[in-house]
Amino acid sequence: MNRSKDLDTVAPDDEVVVPTPKKKEVVAEKKIEVDNSKPDFSQTVYDILGHTKSPFSSFLVRPKILTFTERDENEEIYLAVRPHWANNISWVIIAFLMLFVPLFFKYFTFINFFPSQYRFTAVLFWYLITFIYAFEKFLSWYFNLFLITNERVVDIDFNNLLNKHFAEADLSMIQDVSSSVKGIFGTFFNFGDVLIQTASEVNQINFEKVPNPEKIIKLLKELRDLEDQKNGGGKDNE
Amino acid sequence: MNNFLNINGLENYFFIITKIFFISCSILYLIFSLIVVKQVTSMSKSVTDKFNPILILFSFIHLGFSILLILTMFGL
Repeated sequence: MNRSKDLDTVAPDDEVVVPTPKKKEVVAEKKIEVDNSKPDFSQTVYDILGHTKSPFSSFLVRPKILTFTERDENEEIYLAVRPHWANNISWVIIAFLMLFVPLFFKYFTFINFFPSQYRFTAVLFWYLITFIYAFEKFLSWYFNLFLITNERVVDIDFNNLLNKHFAEADLSMIQDVSSSVKGIFGTFFNFGDVLIQTASEVNQINFEKVPNPEKIIKLLKELRDLEDQKNGGGKDNE
Repeated sequence: MNNFLNINGLENYFFIITKIFFISCSILYLIFSLIVVKQVTSMSKSVTDKFNPILILFSFIHLGFSILLILTMFGL
């Protein structure tokens, strides 16, 4: 084709301009890929961690009801962990023993000096203290959560009912993960600490006395690999 | 001890002081149980789970008992 005769026609050696609709198609394909990968990874989570049977478990795999205020709309919780239930044994025993303390009141002559009404209120007061001791310990355990989501790791602590501690780190920010199982109880019940070192503002996140630390590490490794793949894929496309 | 207090005529004073002490303790305890209710509610808002309503219920029962404690203290 002679270009001087028809300048509106594109010559075969001219640079081909990629039309914009094709880009949209690429984006659409990408989205479909991500959507397809989700159920596969959920299965991977179950393969690594197994299924949770009890809602009171300290190792909740993909909890359906549990959520937290700082959670994003599309954020999915893969794992919610509390300290191992064996850590509750000490306060349960103490609370149980506290229940029987009023039975020994009669052996103290000083207490017998008070009228029965005074003794009744003292016993009521004692049982309220016993209850609040156990309740506060339970709440500290129940609301002490470590979460692993598809975006980040989160540590939520409530200390002594009055202090809330919230720490998070993106999965891409995780640098090193290590675990330690200590003592007879830790070895026997298989619980320990998982220390996550990050490149974010919070230098490290410590999951304390959590059950199955090796499974948590394996899940974090899988998530980091997935994150690396995503980042690598993103760079390739660019 | 009973005789000692009777001899010195201090029995009534002793019981009055004890009563004041018990009442002030129970008022402090009532304030504490109100804080517990507030904290359990805010904890439940922060972390939502299946058993949160039960925990809130327990905190309110505890508050009820601390009110009962104050009433019994005034009844002494």
